[in-house]
Amino acid sequence: MIEPNLELLVPAYVREFEPYIPSKPDPELQKLYGCDRLYRLNNNENPLGPPPGAQEVIRRFPPPRGAIYPSGDSYYLRREIAACHDIDPDQILVGNGANEVIFDVIKAFCGKGDNIITADKTFAVYEWVAVFSGIEARIIPLREERFDDRGMLKSIDDATKVIFLCNPNNPTGAYWSRDTLKNFLDEVEGKQIVVVDEAYFEFVEAEDYPDGISMLKDYPNLIVFRTFSKMYGIAGLRVGYLAGDLKVVDMIRRTCVVYSVNGIAQEAALACLRDDTGHIRRTRELVRESKAFLSAEMAAMGVPVIVGEGNYMILKLPLSDTLAYRKLMHEGIMIRPMTGFRYPNHIRVTMAQMEAMEAFVAALKKILS
Amino acid sequence: MSQDYTRIVTLHLAAQMPLLPVVTQCVETAARVFGLGREESLKLSLATEEIFSYLSGKVCQGENIDIRCVNGIYCSRVEFRFPVSVLDMGSLNIAASVDYENEDDLAEMGLALASRSVDYLNITAERKNHICLTIIKDKQYPPVAEEYFAPLDIQGAITVETPDPEGVKRYVSRLAQGPPDPRRPQFFQYPGQVVDMAASGECQVLTAVDVKGECAGGVLFHFWRSRIIEVFGPHVFAQEREAEIAGMLLDACIAKSARTKAIGLVNLTGMPLSLQSQFELLGLIENYTMDGVKIDRPSFFRLLHEDPGCRIFADRKLKDYLQREYKRLFLAREIREVHDNGEMKAGASIFATEMRRERELAILSPLWPGADLDANVKRHLRFLRGETVNRILFALDLGVSWHASIMTVLMANQFRPALIIPFAGQADLLVFQHDRTEP
Repeated sequence: MIEPNLELLVPAYVREFEPYIPSKPDPELQKLYGCDRLYRLNNNENPLGPPPGAQEVIRRFPPPRGAIYPSGDSYYLRREIAACHDIDPDQILVGNGANEVIFDVIKAFCGKGDNIITADKTFAVYEWVAVFSGIEARIIPLREERFDDRGMLKSIDDATKVIFLCNPNNPTGAYWSRDTLKNFLDEVEGKQIVVVDEAYFEFVEAEDYPDGISMLKDYPNLIVFRTFSKMYGIAGLRVGYLAGDLKVVDMIRRTCVVYSVNGIAQEAALACLRDDTGHIRRTRELVRESKAFLSAEMAAMGVPVIVGEGNYMILKLPLSDTLAYRKLMHEGIMIRPMTGFRYPNHIRVTMAQMEAMEAFVAALKKILS
Repeated sequence: MSQDYTRIVTLHLAAQMPLLPVVTQCVETAARVFGLGREESLKLSLATEEIFSYLSGKVCQGENIDIRCVNGIYCSRVEFRFPVSVLDMGSLNIAASVDYENEDDLAEMGLALASRSVDYLNITAERKNHICLTIIKDKQYPPVAEEYFAPLDIQGAITVETPDPEGVKRYVSRLAQGPPDPRRPQFFQYPGQVVDMAASGECQVLTAVDVKGECAGGVLFHFWRSRIIEVFGPHVFAQEREAEIAGMLLDACIAKSARTKAIGLVNLTGMPLSLQSQFELLGLIENYTMDGVKIDRPSFFRLLHEDPGCRIFADRKLKDYLQREYKRLFLAREIREVHDNGEMKAGASIFATEMRRERELAILSPLWPGADLDANVKRHLRFLRGETVNRILFALDLGVSWHASIMTVLMANQFRPALIIPFAGQADLLVFQHDRTEP
């Protein structure tokens, strides 16, 4: 048998990239760590699950429909999203989670020698996709836990194609106000594509927080990402989308693989948008209550926190975050260590019901004692 | 590191003695062009002569062999890639010519002899029956100048930066002027070498500077195994601000490493007390000063990501030790016992020997199983004692089931388990240290 010469066949930027290793399934983790229950406080999932209407769609999905291809371009879902924002359905591109549309944007705009700009301590996937696509990722440090607008503008050059912002930022929760975003877009002058990832949009209650989609008509170089994985609680079904100018989205569509969003996901997402039971209000209340509880507990324990918008907060620990992860796993608590976000010795904790938050605090006290 | 073909010269030829002058001339010329001095180039050529003769005569006579001379900037590296039949495997041991029972002979041929002319020699198995033998000769650099550095008066805010070559030299020179540390590698005595190591991509250097541009500290780090980064330092030159500066250097080092293929950082040469709470103590390796005084050297580790857990293989005699260590380190491992059920073992085993002569260190690791494990361990111990290697370590990959069969052999030969390095192999690496007090 002649083995392929992977040194020659595979580009260096792929060979040298370390694939992301996702966590093992919960039952495997419980077996490994010897815990009989696991509170998942690591992925910013919504502990309330999907809105009731979406739950009903999932429960009643007719099995024979499993044999039928879904709408290849999420036809009805795009129409519903467009109606919500008063834009054209062709301004929307739905993906298998927002991760897929990150790929689509980089594939559409970046070629050899181009670069993207993003921050050091933010959602890693913009940087990863660029790097394993052979595109330079220019990493600008955050300033006071938020994206540094001046630093990003300064690092733009002729090869810069896309600037990725995360608003509010995951993991710091800091956000750009409408004025900051507008000024930034004015200074970019349409020369680059500006992506604003609003994965946590529905959690934000601050009045000066901008709705990126409402700014599309003034800034045709703006692209906004949204997801159904966080507030709408259907992370397991993988649905996210981007919204942008018609001509821009038409270009991105050329790089998309159709049929990537399955039928049950499209219907559940539609039901999420039509929810009238107060799902968003209930989730926000839960997040507020949990944040207040955790903030008070951490203050009492002398553990510094970084807290902003979104359903998560960061804690700074007096030990390695990856060791804290392992110790907490033995207590049945799964959190996100932040070294991978370039916050060593910090952990990110998802806000959940009080039972989970109390269990987390008890476990943290135990491992710090 | 990417393949840079402007730094590589390749020969593809048959392993036949008449071709020896082609090989030695090529290696010597390439080494000179790559910047090695005449003496070092000659030594590299001598080692090449020994190796090529040995391969042509004993290992893979007449077979195709690829020889690559690589400009490592601070060194020249020669890689020999060749196929080998199972029958000839045993001859690839560095101690192949040593008789473990007979005290009269000491290795005077082949790989053993070659190893004396170079700074590094190792063997790795690349794919089925294909071996890569690597030798490295470092360039000669002037040692750090005996220049007097005034005590530092660090002022104002500190920033961490990737230094230019002059910044690297300032860091290394100031470090070399501090108290000697037997754990520190030799290259820290040669500022020019560290500059070239950084330029070649072999390592990265970060320095902390104050508002006046004074170097207040630094850290050097490099990939030690495919998923592990080894960190030297951080070194801080302003003791009154040690915790602050060391913390900044470590954070910057982690920021550079966090989104690479590395899964963990390891520190085997000491670190400031203020940072030790951010790491986990793996264990102690014995070290010896020039006058033979024993120093226990702590080794530290931190993962960069969640522990995904894994399965490891162990002999029953080591199971308690491993369980205890994994519990202490909070690492999730499924331990599978490996038993000898009398199954047939045939052929000669091979151990890779990573020789680090400047550190009087040899790290052995198993490459191929065989029926002669005990004899092979004894042969290697005899050879390494003859070479005055002070520290002999044996690293077993706990993710490879047959490595577990060597555990009892090692313990019967005065090795003791010293530490576990998570994910330094297919799974974790269990490092044994040979006890020097035993005969």
